[in-house]
Amino acid sequence: MIERRDPAPPPVGRVVATEQKPATPHQFHFWTANQTTIGIGAIVRVEGLGAGDSGRVVYGVVTDGFAYSDLATPLHDVVGAEGDPARAAESPTVRQEIRLWTAAVLRQKPEEPLQPVPLGQVHVANDVDVAQALRMDAYLGGAEPSAIPVGLYTSGALEAPVYLDADFLLGPEAAHLNISGVSGLATKTSAVEFLLGSIFQHFPPHKGRIAAVCFNVKGPDLCFLDQPGALDEEDRRRYERLGVRSQPFELVRYFAPFKADGVNLNTLRTHPELVGDVEPLVWGLREVLDYAEVLLNRDDIDAKADAFIDFLSDRVVDKEFDDGFGGAHRVVTFADLERLFRSIFDGLELGGGRGDTWRTHHIATIRKVRNRLSNISTRAKGLVTDDGPSNDLPWGRFEDRAVYVVDVANVDPLGQDLVFARVVSKLREHLERRDLGVDAVVVFVDELNKYAPADGPETYVKKMLLDISERGRYLGLVLFGAEQFRSQVHRRVVGNAGTIVFGRMDSDELATPVYQVLSPATKIKLATLPIGELMVRHPHFTQPIFVRFPRPAVLRGRDGVERFPPAADLPFEDAVVRQLVKLDRRVRPNLVKDLIADRREEDVRRALAHTRQTRPQDAFAHFKKQLGGRVAAVPAAARETVAPLNPISDDPY
Amino acid sequence: MSRSWVDAILAAGVVPASYVPDASLGRSDLEEFTGADPVEDPELRVHPLTGARALAPGAVGFLDGIEQWRVAGYAGVIPIVRAYVAAAIRLRGADRHPRTVAEDDAELAITRLDRLPDAVRRALEGTGVRVVEISAEDVGQPARALPAARVEVQKARAALERRLAERRLSRLGADEWLVTDGVLSDSPELSAHPRALGVVKSHGAEYFDGPELERALTLPALHRTSVFRPKRRGARREIYSWYLRLWPWEGNDLLYGLLRVEARAHPDTIALASRMSAWLVSERAPLATPDRRWDRLLYPIHDVETYLRARAPRDLFSPFGSRLPLPRTGS
Repeated sequence: MIERRDPAPPPVGRVVATEQKPATPHQFHFWTANQTTIGIGAIVRVEGLGAGDSGRVVYGVVTDGFAYSDLATPLHDVVGAEGDPARAAESPTVRQEIRLWTAAVLRQKPEEPLQPVPLGQVHVANDVDVAQALRMDAYLGGAEPSAIPVGLYTSGALEAPVYLDADFLLGPEAAHLNISGVSGLATKTSAVEFLLGSIFQHFPPHKGRIAAVCFNVKGPDLCFLDQPGALDEEDRRRYERLGVRSQPFELVRYFAPFKADGVNLNTLRTHPELVGDVEPLVWGLREVLDYAEVLLNRDDIDAKADAFIDFLSDRVVDKEFDDGFGGAHRVVTFADLERLFRSIFDGLELGGGRGDTWRTHHIATIRKVRNRLSNISTRAKGLVTDDGPSNDLPWGRFEDRAVYVVDVANVDPLGQDLVFARVVSKLREHLERRDLGVDAVVVFVDELNKYAPADGPETYVKKMLLDISERGRYLGLVLFGAEQFRSQVHRRVVGNAGTIVFGRMDSDELATPVYQVLSPATKIKLATLPIGELMVRHPHFTQPIFVRFPRPAVLRGRDGVERFPPAADLPFEDAVVRQLVKLDRRVRPNLVKDLIADRREEDVRRALAHTRQTRPQDAFAHFKKQLGGRVAAVPAAARETVAPLNPISDDPY
Repeated sequence: MSRSWVDAILAAGVVPASYVPDASLGRSDLEEFTGADPVEDPELRVHPLTGARALAPGAVGFLDGIEQWRVAGYAGVIPIVRAYVAAAIRLRGADRHPRTVAEDDAELAITRLDRLPDAVRRALEGTGVRVVEISAEDVGQPARALPAARVEVQKARAALERRLAERRLSRLGADEWLVTDGVLSDSPELSAHPRALGVVKSHGAEYFDGPELERALTLPALHRTSVFRPKRRGARREIYSWYLRLWPWEGNDLLYGLLRVEARAHPDTIALASRMSAWLVSERAPLATPDRRWDRLLYPIHDVETYLRARAPRDLFSPFGSRLPLPRTGS
């Protein structure tokens, strides 16, 4: 993995220490020639010389740089040039200048006793030095190496791979990754895509199986992870140097809810060549009710409503239930629940004298819960089905090295919260029971500041993210969060991320207290970071390190939309045909269209959902059976009239 | 060499001392009237440099030297002085960055051997350090011995500078000049070379009196005097010289910004005097601050001095702290 390029490069600098700028165990200063490859972020090696320091090696990373001349005061330059700036450049001799650098200590060898950095020669770090400096030697070798390539450290002509420790990136020692950066510079999503590919290729066998769940929350960002993207020679060289194959993800499964019509998928991956891979994400009453807290906690945390929902969940749903007004119910769908609510309201209103409570629940609470539940089925129509079976992620059957993309980009925010809460909670449940199918799951969430904001109400989603951040590493539930402004994310969520990655940062953001540990020079570098370069903090690295990574080998969202333009929504009949053909290629479109002509769309959707869930050998036959026979319209019988016994006379008297 | 010989004599019984004389950091000029003969004009006149096209050599070597000394110890009342002299030439080429092309240094012990106890003398001779002796008359009172030691240090420095300069002259490029900090006339080779210039900042020697002296010392800025020939004195060779004012002296001092330039005694020197002066005026920038002599010190000379001081033994400089007696500690 590590190659030594030059066994004995000449020194590039020398450590200097003065009373004002002494060398300490954590920081030192050195000078270089004016023309040097050293820059902010460069890793250097200091070799101790002389009595007591011989054999000591100190690794450091450059955090600040200074240049100055022997000019005592700017006024002297003005005087020397007689007030003419042009003449200042004409002086026959160039003033002596210095390039003085400040470096933070990464590692000292030997580590004890910890002493100030010796005033020795400074060398540019090579591959071996970088591994030593970043303590990567602890996990690069040994019986069970756990190194995950994250990028290339580059300084001048030197280039060295940088690895993260899987035990500290994916648990159990530490876990989670947080990435910040301004939008539009192809850094956050690209970096996560590259890193996921690297993890899938380098996840240590002794740690078992791993999968990723990615929430696509905006545009087509994650819609083409299975398609190869454009790479140039430099990208391929970087892949080779990092030991990562430049290929798209081999196993990607896409999930997206339907649009309001219940048959067209609500995703940008609707190109005919690709839409077949997208599975609908449809949830029914049971799936929603378990996470109803998500629906309630936005505006009103209400213990009574909570209690009523618990009652419904425990005593009503999926059970034979007597409403107390003589009606028997079996509530499976939203439609069943609506019938129960109507029955309760009718019973209370018509019962007369029976009060305004039902089973200890006040009618106002019941109405409120009914409103919230019907609200979600309206706002997230397509995700939540009023009637019919659900279609969900393959809980218990997660595949190794698979990416599960949940596309909620076009879903109502409330629906996004619901999807997020339920998927992550289910992941947690299954990982706790060790029956998910994999041992670890990376959950990638973009726009983390939306789900776990630094301020604002304590939402269910925020509480859940906090829980993952603080306890997920023991379960193998790893959060990869991304956001534009780290300062706007809950500090316990970012604080629990073992690995922190920064792309180009906004200057205003860098001025916030979150970044006060960074030197001004590092901040400037962050504010001007080019595409493809990151600053990485990792538990093994005592200082942040700048690395470059190749473009991900997958098709970028924007390019994907151009190459695979989304198809227009199909008419209802065609959309039904497409779904049935996807299940069974023998299905003949005309037969389907004839079958569903003049049928109620709700009935067709229900039959289709059932067929999709059952996945029968003969999809058309099953669909037809589920749809049932057409009920012929029966003309209304003529109403029998009965002659009045005592016809009313026209005469009013 | 460093302190090894000092340790040896201390072990032999010399009482350690740490006296660094103020005069250790510079050297003085002769303070006497020598007179001069007119060369360019019948009498000393003032020539403006307006319109003079500055000479612009392709490369210029700047030579300077330093001296550091301190009393290392006393054997009875006989001082044993530790001295360090160094000189360097830094060549400035087309990129305007000076780079060292020649340097030399020497460390010496200055004392009077026959007044030292046998053990100390043997210890000193055994170390191999070069010993320079002061005269027997100067030994006894430190008030005489130390100035005598200082003169020896200056001689050693001048000899080192001269040696370095003469070695450099033999390989001076066709478009390369050598500018020395101080007189040329100490060296036959230097004083005869067509591309050697001496720049003298101290004005102890008097060449004129009366109105000519006044003309020389009240020279306006960016003017030079006529070229004159200092009268020969001792071992000094024939040379041409002139005064040059770099900065206005009004409001400061008569000697403010005043240089005396030396060049070979040749008609070409007279022809080029204004152009050479204009060149030296151009060397005003960058200012040689923070040196107190910046009004007369050319920056490249200052640069050589900075270089030499940076490489000099640190224990020869004045200690930062007080000279309160300190207990001996450590090993």
